[in-house]
Order: sequence, then C-alpha cells, then structure tokens
Amino acid sequence: MSLVFLILSLLSMAAAVAVKVMFVPASEGINITGAHVFFTLKTPIQDLPITEAQVNSWCVILAVMFLCLFLTSGLKTRNISVRQLVAEWIVEKVTTLVRSNMGEFFEGFAPFIAAILGLSAFSSLSSLLGIFPPTSDINIIAGWAILVFILITYYKMKAGPWIYMKSFGQPVPLLAPLNIISEVATPISMAFRHYGNVLSGSIISVLVAVGLTDVSHKIFSFLPGAFSDFPYLRIGVPAILSIYFDLFSGCLQAFIFAMLTMLYVSGGFPAEEYAARKKRRQERAEARAARANAKEQKAEI
Amino acid sequence: MQDLDIISVNIWHIVISLANLVILFLILKKLLFEPVNKIREQRQNEIDTQYRKAERTKREADEIKAGWESKMATADDEADKIINEAVERADRRNEVMLYESREKADQIIRKAKADVERDRREARETIKKEIVDVSQALSEQIIGREINMDDHRDLIDKAIDNIGDLK
Repeated sequence: MSLVFLILSLLSMAAAVAVKVMFVPASEGINITGAHVFFTLKTPIQDLPITEAQVNSWCVILAVMFLCLFLTSGLKTRNISVRQLVAEWIVEKVTTLVRSNMGEFFEGFAPFIAAILGLSAFSSLSSLLGIFPPTSDINIIAGWAILVFILITYYKMKAGPWIYMKSFGQPVPLLAPLNIISEVATPISMAFRHYGNVLSGSIISVLVAVGLTDVSHKIFSFLPGAFSDFPYLRIGVPAILSIYFDLFSGCLQAFIFAMLTMLYVSGGFPAEEYAARKKRRQERAEARAARANAKEQKAEI
Repeated sequence: MQDLDIISVNIWHIVISLANLVILFLILKKLLFEPVNKIREQRQNEIDTQYRKAERTKREADEIKAGWESKMATADDEADKIINEAVERADRRNEVMLYESREKADQIIRKAKADVERDRREARETIKKEIVDVSQALSEQIIGREINMDDHRDLIDKAIDNIGDLK
C-alpha cells in the first residue's frame, strides 16, 4: 500500500518530464528564455499564462505530498521501519532547527520551514530531470518572499501597531526612510538571491555547454567526418558544473532561504513588548471581571 | 505558444506561488508533522507507562524482599530462642533427674543400712539367745543340775553385754 504512494510520487515528477517532452519544442543553440507558456487564461488585472514553472511546482507539491503519505503510512510505536525512521528524522531535525533558531514560541513554524526547504530544494533539483526549475522564475520566489514578509510584519505587529510604527524611528527618527527601505528590501533581496542563484546557474551551464561545443569543434576539427562534429569536451565537464549549480546551489539556496525566514521572523518579533502587552491585557481583563463581579453583588443586595 | 521573457512579473503567478507554499505547508503539517508527532507522543506515553510499571514492580519486589529478609532475621532469632529453651529445659530435667537419682540412691543406701542394722540386731539377739542356751546347757552339764533359768539368764545377758561392749 505504501509503495503505491512512492510510485505516485515518482509518477508526478515523471508527469512533469512528460509534459516537457510533449509540449515544449526543443530549442536550438543558445536560447535563454523564461518558462514555456502552455496556454493563457483571461483573468482580471493581468492575463494568467500557465507556464512550465506553475506545472512543475504543482508536480513538486504532488510529489512531496505522496512522499509524505509514503513515509507516514503504517506508523508504529515500536519496531519501526526505515521509512518511519526517515520521517521521524526529518521531523526531528526540522523541529530542532526551528527551535534553536527561533525559540520555543515559534515551534509551530516547523512545518512551514519544512515546506520552504522541501519546495525550494525539490524545485531546484527538478532541473536534474531536465525540466524547468520553478525556482528560476522570479514570480515563484517572489510569492514565497511576500509570504515571509507578511509573516515578519504580522509578528512585528503582535505587540501592537504603535510599537511597530515606533520601531521605524529607531535609533533616530531621521533614519525612518532608511528603515522603511530596509524593511521592504528584505523580501526583495531574499527573492532575488534565490532566483538569481538558480537562474544564473542554468545560464552558466548553457553557456559552458555551448562554449565547450565550440572549443571541441575547434580542437577536434582534424578528425574525419562525423568524428569532428562530436562535442567531446561536453562529456563530464558540464556534469561537474551541474553538481555545483544544481545540487549544491539548489540545496544551499533552500537552506539560506529557510534560515533567513527564521531569522527575520524571530528577529523582528518584539518578545518583551509582546509579553508586556499580554500581561497588560490580562490585567485589564481581570479588572473588568472584578468590576462586573462587584456590580453583580451590588445588584443582588 | 512562445516562452516567457526571462524576467516577467505576473501578479497571478506570485499569488499562485504564495498559495502553493501555504498549501505545501498545510500538506506537510497534516500529513507529516502531525502523524509523526502523534506517534512520537504515543511512544513517549508508552515508555512512560512502562517505566512506571517497572518502577512499581521493582518497589513491590523490594518490599517483598525486605519482608523476607526481616522474616529470615527473626527466624534466626526464633531458632536461637527455641534452642536456648530446649537446652534450658534439658538442663532443668537433668538436674531434676540427678536430684531424684541421688535421692533414690540415698534412700537405697539408707534402707540397706537399716536392713544391715536390723540384721545385725537380730543376729545379736539370736546369738545371745543361743549363747544363753549353750551356756545353760554347759552349766547344767558341768554343774549337773538344773539351774534356775531366770536367775541365770540375767547373769548371762550381763556377761554378754560386757563382752559386746568390750568388742
């Protein structure tokens, strides 16, 4: 039963590859463009083109979902399987990471951080299958960064809007414009860092591959016939680059994005003010309750 | 259909991506974190109950052991007491028996002495009587006539007493 989920998980990635093979025309030469548009929906404000990036990220989500189902099927309390061990390892690692970086208060962020890590890493790694990595589309990362920005602002506002507004005037009110810029710069820098790394990786890969083809044509032009056309230098060298740009950079950017999310959200949260406000509210509620009690007693008399 | 430009901002793409992240967050929460945390909690509970059970069992075992040990200790004391009592009783009985046997021996000795005394007295009586008779017969033979029995008896008795005293 659990194997079905594993197969479904692999199938959803295979579906992304199949869509790419069937609908995306093969490009010739150096062709650096964004995602291929399958069709465009008419929507208000702006037309919605359904592109490879969208399809691939849905495929990644489906794959992760089935992977979760695969890992968590048949959980037991003893004599656990390797599958369950992996699931528990993931949960424990992410929870520990979140707790050590954000503190006990933000422990509920663990699934969110795991979602960022999983979605980002799997999206970047999907380029290994030859499909368009969704993380090299600015819109995808921008969506995540905006969500993170919303979270940062929400937790900054927890201690009251006034304290949030006042934090822009720190340390001198003169610096307020700079503070606002840095506040807005946070999601933009996060988005461009991640997007730029993945996109530049694939661009460099393409450039290197094309360059190596040319160089190998130059070097091996003395060979007769079809032998001279074969790009010998493209054997192996791009693979090494791919290890860095696809594997290492993809995982590293996912980790960086998750770390920054944790640091910004927990760092912006004014814990002391929040505790003070909570205490104030509690006291006020108690006072109100006491007053209501007194009134009731008076009424009874 | 053509490709997108390499940088093309689309509001809906951003919204979809944001929603995707939220959806994946919910998926991971419901399908991975909650079941795993639940099973871990369950395991923790199981371990706790096992520990509690083990501790309780150990405590009970300790209690039983302590009970047995104290019983063993008192058993030694009891055994000592019983032996002491037995020894005492034996000693007492021994004494009693010794006393009784001594008494009996004394009795026997006393009786024997009394017997001997009586026998001696009887023998003395008979010897006396016979001596009187013999002396009477001898005197009759010597003197040749009848002697007054009563006069002579006193005389002879006195003589015999004198002889007995001399002895």
